Amino acid sequence: MIEVRNASLVYDDHGRQVFACHDLTLELKDGEFLGILGPSGSGKSSLLYLMCGLKTPTSGEVAYRGRTLSSMSEDERAELRLRQFGFVFQYPYLLGYLSALENVLVGTPTNGEAKKSGISSPWTNGWATEPAARELLTGLGLGDKLHRMPFELSGGEKQRVCIARALLGGREVVFADEPTANLDHVNGVAVVETLVANRGSGSLVMVTHDPTMLEKADRVVTISDGRLAASL
Amino acid sequence: MRNPLAPTVFLLRNTSKTLPLIGVIVLAVMLIGGIVAIMDSIPLSIRTTYGYSKAYLGVSPRGNMAMTPILRHIVKTESPVPLGRVMTCRVSDCEVKSIVGPWRFAVIGLSQDDMSYYLDRLGGCTITGRLPLPGKAEALLSEPVARNLGKKLGDVFLGPTDSNNYSPNEVRVVGIAHMKPWVALAPIEYLEKYHFPPIDLLIVTAKDIRQQDKLDHWAYERLGGEMARTYTYFRLEIETADMFKILYTILNVVIALLVVVITLMMAMLMNIYQSQRLQEFGLLQALGYARKRLMRRVLSETALVVAGGWILGVVSAFLLMTVVKVLLMDPRAFMLDPFDRQAYLYSVPVPIAIFLAATWTIALRFRRFDPVGVVERRLV
Ligand SMILES: Nc1ncnc2c1ncn2[C@@H]1O[C@H](COP(=O)(O)OP(=O)(O)OP(=O)(O)O)[C@@H](O)[C@H]1O
Ligand SMILES: [Mg+2]
Repeated sequence: MIEVRNASLVYDDHGRQVFACHDLTLELKDGEFLGILGPSGSGKSSLLYLMCGLKTPTSGEVAYRGRTLSSMSEDERAELRLRQFGFVFQYPYLLGYLSALENVLVGTPTNGEAKKSGISSPWTNGWATEPAARELLTGLGLGDKLHRMPFELSGGEKQRVCIARALLGGREVVFADEPTANLDHVNGVAVVETLVANRGSGSLVMVTHDPTMLEKADRVVTISDGRLAASL
Repeated sequence: MRNPLAPTVFLLRNTSKTLPLIGVIVLAVMLIGGIVAIMDSIPLSIRTTYGYSKAYLGVSPRGNMAMTPILRHIVKTESPVPLGRVMTCRVSDCEVKSIVGPWRFAVIGLSQDDMSYYLDRLGGCTITGRLPLPGKAEALLSEPVARNLGKKLGDVFLGPTDSNNYSPNEVRVVGIAHMKPWVALAPIEYLEKYHFPPIDLLIVTAKDIRQQDKLDHWAYERLGGEMARTYTYFRLEIETADMFKILYTILNVVIALLVVVITLMMAMLMNIYQSQRLQEFGLLQALGYARKRLMRRVLSETALVVAGGWILGVVSAFLLMTVVKVLLMDPRAFMLDPFDRQAYLYSVPVPIAIFLAATWTIALRFRRFDPVGVVERRLV
């Protein structure tokens, strides 16, 4: 579904070129759980940003269902992220002035917006995804905390809210960049399991430096110094 | 459930940020509106106090007091419009108060019949008390003049001990005319006998008051100059406008500076608030909210704040001016117009400038903004 072809991402570090990704080629298949493993600074995050269109490769290309991401407009890429991709970041970023439930809803377009941009939407009016969001949060054990503000939630609870935000509406791909890095092992495993169990038919791309988190992965690629080292 | 990203949601849940912004705009609008309204009240006072001249043409001879009959003849034979009355009058003066200090005000001496005509000409009125009797040391004041001077029926209006409102005898108020125009009338016989200068003046009315202005313009051209001096409303307007031209230029500069200062301050404040929201913008952009959308959202928030602040400011300014008018101005018949459109128009640049400044800072901020930097926590 997402094809990375000979993609490189070069940063300019005070005149010196830093290859965050070096000539990477990789394909993500429908419904697949892909693990990306590697030490710190190896380019894992960079690869993730390339795949989801947050970064544009310096050379090579990334295509989503045959369409090159760099040929899309910024708005189209944004729409794609909002509609088809879900994100879980290392830090559980939530908007401080919105409740858990509202934070989850932020991750999806309104029905009106979906219509305007020509995306077919199964939802009825407005934020009709609300029941789905409630259900999702309840499934993640936050049923009694729907209306809590972020400062009233623990780190693990916040991360679960982020997961609900990434999953709501049924995404084609969920990207997770070290979603467990800030959690203890038990919570970390729980988060991964939640992601795996709730992603439905979507793919999951998870970046981590902890191999034990990738036991359920369909495939794990290891990356070091921006190069693909192995595919297990 | 409402859209959590609706502009109102952010504004209502971040009142500690929203209220100071609105507060500054409200104060700015009140300040500017207040200054302009007070300034405007001066020419407004002139127009109101001397507004009686709208109803007639005044003519006084220059140099030679024997000219009056000749002037009367010219007016009667050459007037371009049918005339109402050509009245002979004597004029003395008194002092009225204004917010910029004392002003001289005409006490007009007329025959009793002319007095009635004069009051009718100014729109008519009911009188508490009565008209001054011929030759008596008596006066009739219209209600605003009485209020301005603090005079009631029976009070001494002019007197031998008051150098600003002098008359060799005590002239008492015997009538108060309930009307808007400012009027002070005394019997012509009394003024002829006791007051200088011994010059007869003419009060000329057009038969149709709508033609008064035409008569005034004609008289200004025909009689003005060496022969006579004319008193007309259109000249009052021109002279008032002239007098305040420089003042208004200064006012414009001051208000422009004020707008610049307030805008800079607000832009700085909003810039700080926006930089506190970088994480929010970065996150939303990463989640799939295009820059344009985020900008539109911030701009609608700003527009709401700015428009809300302006409307609140106008309402507050109006309330404040009404209070000032009722408590401070009305008791002395000073002019202040809480409905002064110009005052509110002058404050319009405030919200517009602030909105433009905000747009500019927001555009700059979003132009080079990398959400990856935010979610990677390199930028918080
Ligand atoms: N904005 C940037 N400017 C310059 N160099 C950068 C920039 N972002 C990343 N890099 C460099 O690119 C390389 C890969 O970074 P990346 O963030 O992809 O690593 P990572 O594998 O995700 O590491 P970690 O596990 O610590 O998150 C690193 O050497 C990093 O220093
Ligand atoms: Mg990383």
